[in-house]
Amino acid sequence: MSSPAPTPRPALAVSCEDVARTFGRGERAVVAVHGSSCEVPFGSRIAIVGPSGSGKSTMLHMMAGLETPTAGRVSWPGLPDVAERRGQIGVVFQSPSLVPALTVVENVALPLVLDGVPDAEAQERVTEALELVQVTELATQLPEELSGGQAQRVAVARVLASRPSLILADEPTGQLDRANGQHLVEVLLATAEQLDAALVISTHDIEVADRLQERWRMHEGRLKTDEAGLKRTSVPRATHADTTTAGGQR
Amino acid sequence: MISLSGAGAAPSVSSNGVTGNVEPTGSQPAAALTADRLYRFFRTGDEETLALRGVSLTVARGQTVAVVGPSGCGKSTLLACLAGLDEPDGGTVRVGGQRLSHRPEAERARLRARRIGVLMQSRNLLPHLNIRANIELARTAGRVRPRLRGATEGSSAPAGVTELLERVGLTRRAQAYASELSGGELARAGLAVALANDPDIVLADEPTGELDGDTEQHVLELLRDRAGAGAALLVVTHSPRVVAIADRVIHLHDGMVTS
Amino acid sequence: MTGTWLMGLLRRRGGRLLAVSVGIAVAVSLIAALGTFLTVSQQTMTARALRSVAVDWQVEVQPGADPAAVRATVAASSGVRAAVPVTFARSTGLQATAGGTTQTTGAAVVLGLPDGYRARFPGEIRQLSGSASGVLVAQQTASNLHIRPGSQVKIGLGVKRWETVTVAGVVDLPQADSLFQKVGAPVGAQPSAPPDNVILLPAATFARVVGAQSATPLGHGSQAPGSPVVAVTTQIHVARSAPLPSDPAGAYAAVLGAAHNLEAKLAGTGVVGNNIGAALDAARSDAAYAQMLFLFLGLPGALLAAMLTAALVGAGAQRRRDEQALLRTRGLPPRAIGRLAAIEAALVAGGGAVLGLVAGAIASRWAFGSSNATASGLLEVFGLSPAWAVVAVLFGAVIAGATVLAPALRDLRHLTVSHARHAVGRARPPWWMRYGVDLGILALALVVFWVSSSDNYTLVLAPEGVPSISVSYWAFLGPTLLWLGGAMFLWRLATMSLTHGRGPLARFITPLTGRLAKPAAATMSRQRRPLTRSVVLLALAISFAASTATFNATYQQQAEADAQLTNGADVAVTPAPGAPLSATATAAIARTPGVTHVEPLQHRFAYVGADLQDLYGVHPNTIASVTALQDAYFQGGTARQLMATLAAKPDSILVSDETVKDFQLHPGDRLNLRLENQSTHQLTTIPFHYAGIAKEFPTAPKDSFFVANADYVAKMTGSNAVGTYLVDTSGTNQPAVAAALRHTLGTSATVTDITHTRTVVGSSLTSVNLAGLTRLELAFAIILAAGSGGLVLAIGLTERRRTMAIISVLGARRRQLQGLVMAEAAVVAVGGLLGGTLISWALTQMLVKVLTGVFDPPPSSIALPTVYLTVTVVTVVAALAAAAAFSARSSTRPAVEELRDA
Repeated sequence: MSSPAPTPRPALAVSCEDVARTFGRGERAVVAVHGSSCEVPFGSRIAIVGPSGSGKSTMLHMMAGLETPTAGRVSWPGLPDVAERRGQIGVVFQSPSLVPALTVVENVALPLVLDGVPDAEAQERVTEALELVQVTELATQLPEELSGGQAQRVAVARVLASRPSLILADEPTGQLDRANGQHLVEVLLATAEQLDAALVISTHDIEVADRLQERWRMHEGRLKTDEAGLKRTSVPRATHADTTTAGGQR
Repeated sequence: MISLSGAGAAPSVSSNGVTGNVEPTGSQPAAALTADRLYRFFRTGDEETLALRGVSLTVARGQTVAVVGPSGCGKSTLLACLAGLDEPDGGTVRVGGQRLSHRPEAERARLRARRIGVLMQSRNLLPHLNIRANIELARTAGRVRPRLRGATEGSSAPAGVTELLERVGLTRRAQAYASELSGGELARAGLAVALANDPDIVLADEPTGELDGDTEQHVLELLRDRAGAGAALLVVTHSPRVVAIADRVIHLHDGMVTS
Repeated sequence: MTGTWLMGLLRRRGGRLLAVSVGIAVAVSLIAALGTFLTVSQQTMTARALRSVAVDWQVEVQPGADPAAVRATVAASSGVRAAVPVTFARSTGLQATAGGTTQTTGAAVVLGLPDGYRARFPGEIRQLSGSASGVLVAQQTASNLHIRPGSQVKIGLGVKRWETVTVAGVVDLPQADSLFQKVGAPVGAQPSAPPDNVILLPAATFARVVGAQSATPLGHGSQAPGSPVVAVTTQIHVARSAPLPSDPAGAYAAVLGAAHNLEAKLAGTGVVGNNIGAALDAARSDAAYAQMLFLFLGLPGALLAAMLTAALVGAGAQRRRDEQALLRTRGLPPRAIGRLAAIEAALVAGGGAVLGLVAGAIASRWAFGSSNATASGLLEVFGLSPAWAVVAVLFGAVIAGATVLAPALRDLRHLTVSHARHAVGRARPPWWMRYGVDLGILALALVVFWVSSSDNYTLVLAPEGVPSISVSYWAFLGPTLLWLGGAMFLWRLATMSLTHGRGPLARFITPLTGRLAKPAAATMSRQRRPLTRSVVLLALAISFAASTATFNATYQQQAEADAQLTNGADVAVTPAPGAPLSATATAAIARTPGVTHVEPLQHRFAYVGADLQDLYGVHPNTIASVTALQDAYFQGGTARQLMATLAAKPDSILVSDETVKDFQLHPGDRLNLRLENQSTHQLTTIPFHYAGIAKEFPTAPKDSFFVANADYVAKMTGSNAVGTYLVDTSGTNQPAVAAALRHTLGTSATVTDITHTRTVVGSSLTSVNLAGLTRLELAFAIILAAGSGGLVLAIGLTERRRTMAIISVLGARRRQLQGLVMAEAAVVAVGGLLGGTLISWALTQMLVKVLTGVFDPPPSSIALPTVYLTVTVVTVVAALAAAAAFSARSSTRPAVEELRDA
C-alpha cells in the first residue's frame, strides 16, 4: 500500500466540483459549504484557513468521503475504488477521536486491523508511527489518561501508520502548545513527503499555514483557492461559483 | 455554522484596558485574588504526582494575568484551586481578602456565586437549558449585585440578561440549546454565562483554544472589557494572542512558577 | 429557577425521564397488582371459610343448665343473628321392615329440629328424596334399613322401648363432622367420627317421642318414674351477623374473642363449638402461605425493576456529574443542587406512580378478572387495593430516591468539583470482590438453607386456638442470599472472564466480527462494567422468570396430583358398602354421555400379620387410561414397569414403604395376606409376591395399602366386587357427567368429580386463583427479562456510539459495525442465559424445598414449564437482537456527526 504504484497514477488525489453541504431542512437549514471547487494533486501541501464556522471541517470531511455533499461531486481519481479507498485517506479530527477503550497501540493499529494488515507488519508500522510523533512511552496508556495534546499526537500517529495517499488534518494543533504544534506539522510534512501523499491541513494558526506551500481560504462556506501566497507546483482551478471576493479579512 | 459578523457585534468595546501598560498591582491596594504556597497531590494507584508545588500569585483588580506552560504543568489544577472547585492540600486561596480554601462547600459556593466567573474551554452550558436560562441560572446563583455593573436598583435581572446576550452577539440565539450552537457561538454563550454574575474575578481555562482568530479576538475584548470594569482576570492559555494582552504572564512548569 | 430547570428537563430530556419512569412504573405496578392479589385472595379465603360453615357456633348447654336461659343469653349477645335450640338424644338402634325382612342398625342419634331450622341453616341438610318436612333419615341410614320415604321406622330408646315414626324424606348431612362434634373437646383431641345412623325429627315429634325435656324448663334429667332414662342434650345453633375483618387472621381473632366473650357471659352454662373459628383457623395459615408466596415471588421482581431503573439512571451518570460540576462552578450551594436532583427524582417518581398504578390496575384486572368479585369499595372502582397502591407508590419513590437522588447527593458530598469533571480511570474491582463477599454470601445461603430445611422446621406455624400466627421469615434468608450471592458471583465470573479471557472471547466473537475480533474483545474487556451489568441483570431477570415459572408449574402439578389421588379419576362412583351395583347400573355408567371409559377398582381389606390394610385390585393394563400414575408414586420401577409386572405375574403385589421395612421384604419375596372369601365369609390366606413399593395410589389412604391384580384377587376371593368405578371423561365436563350419574344411580352410590374434589382437598390457597398470580408474575418476568436484556444492552451500546463512529470513519464497513454490535449482544445473551439458568436452577431447588409446606403431596420432581421457558428465552433473544439492530442502525448514521457532538 505504501509502495508507489508501478503504473503512473492520475495526478489528482481528490477533486471537488461545485460541492455544497446543507445541514437541516426548511427554515432551520444552515448552509455549511456553498458551491466550492478545488483539486488536490498528489504531493501538494495545502492549508485551509478561515474563521470557525466557516465550513473548513465540513469541506475536509467531504474531501475524506465522510460526508456526502448535498450538491456537486467529489471524486478521487488517483485513489482505488470505494472498498479500498478508506484506507488510503487518513483523517486527523479536530475533536478527540481515539477509541476510549483501546490503548494507544491498539488505537494506532486499528486502521491496519481493518485493512487486514498482517500482525507483524502492523506492529512494526505502529511502533514506527509512535516514534515519529514521540509518544512511544505512552503506548499502553488509555486515551483518558492522555492530555489533549498527547491524544492529538496519537491520532496523527494513527494516520501515519495507515500510510495513506491523502492526509486530511482538521485543526491538528488546536490542543497543542506552540512547540508541539510545530513539531506535529513537521511530522505531517515529512510523512507526506515520504509517502508522496497529498496533505491538507485546516487551521486558524497562521504560523502553521505558513509552513505549507499553498494557502486556501474558507469564508462563510465559500472556498477561495487563489489566495495570494506561496504558490508553487499546483495551480488549483478558480472556482466559478465564487464570484464575490470576500476581501481581506484582517 | 453561523459565522460571526465580525467586530460589529461588540461595537462599544473599550481598548484602553488592553493597551494600558501601567502595572496596576502597585497602584491598586486591594488584591482581588491571592494564592499562597499552593500544594496539590494526586494519587493514581501507588504513584503520587505533585500537580502544584508551592504556587503563589496575586491578581489585582483590573489586572489581567496569563498563566502559560507546557501541557501537564498543573495549569488546570491551579485554576480549579483558585476557583474553589478543588481543595489544595496545602496553602491558602483568598478572594477579596476572604479565605476560599478549606471552607465548607456551601461557603465556597457562595463566594464563587457572588465573586467568581469561570470560563472553561468547553461544556460551559447545561445542555437541557437554553442560553437565556443558562445565564439566568448563573445570575440566580450569585443573586447578582449591581455594584460592578453600575446598574440602578430599578433595572431588573432579565434586562441584564438581554444586555449580556447583546454584548456577546447572541440575542437572536437566546432560545437555542448548546447542541444547536456552532463552536464560536458556544464560546460566546459560555462567556455570557461566566460573566452573568458580574464577577470580581474571572478565571478562564483555555477560553480560546479551539477558536479562530476573529472569535478569539471578540472573546478577549469582552474579557478585557470586564477587567476594565475592575475585575481581576486570570487566563490559563497557550495562545500568544492572549499572552499579548496580559498585564503579567506567569510561567508554570512542573507545578512551580518559573518566572 | 426550579421551574426553568423542570421545564428544561421535560423539554429536552423527556425520553430519558420517561424511560426511568417506566422502570419505576414496572416496580409500582408489580407491587400494586401483587398486593391486590394478596388482599383479594385473603378476602376470598375469609369469604370461603365463612361460606363453608353451615352453623357458625354450636353452643352446648351444660348439664343442669336451663336451655331456654342459655338460648336467651346467646340470642341477646351482640353479633348473633339467630339462636336456635337443637336437641340430641341417643337411640339404641333403628329398625325397619321392608320386603319381608327386618333390618336393625346399631346405635343411632336422634335430632330434634325446631321449625324453620333448615331455612336458617340451609347448608346443614341436603335433601336427597321425599318431603322436606317431617321425619328425615340420613342417606346411609336409609340404605342400611332399605327404606324410602313413606316407610315406617322404629326408634329404640332405652330398654325395650320402641317408638314408631313415618319417614318423610332422605337427606344428606354434608357437615356431619361439625354437627356431631364433641363440643368443648380439648385442643388436639382425636376428632370423633360422626354417627353412622341419624334420624331427624321435628321438635314437636322429638318432644313426643323422646320426652318433653326441651319443652319443660327443668326437664333435663327429670324422667317420669319407671320410664327408661334417655339422655337429651341441647345445643343452641347460632348464625352470626357481626362483620369480620377481611383477612383470615383478623377474622379468626375476632371470632375467637367473641366466642370467649359469650362463654364468659354464659358463666359455665354453655360451651361454644366454634365452627366458624375452626374454618378461619385453617384459612389463616393458608393466608400466611399466600403472603409468603407474595414475598418470595413478588419482591424479587420489584427489586429487579429497581435495578433496571438504576441501570437506566446510571447510563446518564457521567452527564449528571458534568452538570453537577457546572452547577457548582456557577456557585450553586450544595443544598440547591440537591434540591434540583430531588425535583428530578420527584418527577420520575410521580410519573412512575401514575404509569405504574394504571398498568397495575390493568394487569390486575387482566390477571385476576372475576376473582375481584368479592372486592368492595375503592378496590372495586380502581381494581387495586388502596393500601397496596400507597405501598407501591412509596416503593417507587424509594427507587427514585435511591437511583436518582442518592447518587447526586453522594457525588455532592464526596467529590471535589474537579474530580467530578474526570471520568474514572482504569476500573478497579469493587471492594466486595476483593474481600470475596459474594462467596461468603453464597456460603451463608447454604448454611441458612441447611439449617432451615432440617427436621423441625415449619414455614408457617399456626397453633390451633391461638390467634397469632408465626411465619418463619428465616426461610426468606436462604433464597434471598442465594439470589444476591449468585448475582454477585456471576458479576465476578463475568468480570474475570472478560478481564482474563480476552483470547477465548476474541475466538468466540470472530464469526461475528471477523478481523475486528481482537480490538472488539479488548474493548469489551476494558469496558466490562456495562457489559457485566447487562449480563448480571439479564441473568437475574431470567432466574426470576424461570424460578417463578418452575415453582408455579410444580405447584400446579402437585395440586393436580393431589386432586387426582384423592378422587381417583375425572369422576368416581362409589357404591354404598355391601351393596354392589347391578350389571345394568354398571352398563348405565358407561352409557352416560361424556363418559369415555370406566375402570372398576376393587377395594378390600387385607390382614398382613395382625395389621389391617386397604387392598386395591387393579386391571394393570387399563388403569393408566383413567388416572395418571406418576412415577413418583412408586419405587422399584416406573409406573409403567410395575403395572407390566402386575399384568405379567398376577400374584405380584405392591406394598407400602413401611410394610417393606416392617416385614423385611425383598423383591420376589412371598407375602401371605388374609382376605375375606365371598362365599364362606371366612378369612383365607392368599399368597402374593412382593414386586415394588407404592407410596401413593388413586383413592388410597396416605398410610399403608396394597395394590394387586384385580383378576387374581377376584379368583382367590371368589368375588369381583368393585370398590370404586373410575370414570374417564377425557378431562372435560366432569361436573355435568357427575350430575348425570347421580341422577342415574340415585342413592345407590356416591358420585364425586375432580373439580369438586380440587376445591375440597386443595387448601383455600389453590382455589384462590393462583393461575392469575402465575399469569401476572410470568408476564412481569418476561417484561423484566426483555427489559434487562434489550434496554440495558441498548444503553451500553449508546454509550459506545462514539467508539462505533470512530471505527466507522477509520474505514469499517457497515457489516463490520453490525458485527461489533451483534458480538456484544451475543456475549450478553450467552452470559445472561447461562448465568440465569444456573441461578434459577439453584433457586428453584431451594424455593421448592423451603416452600415445601405449600405443596401437597411434596414434589418428587420439579415440573419444567417448557413452553414458558422457551417463550422467555425467545423474547430475551428477540429483545437483544432488536436492541442490537437498533444500535447498529443508529451507529451507521453519519459518523462525523457523532464525532462533532463531543
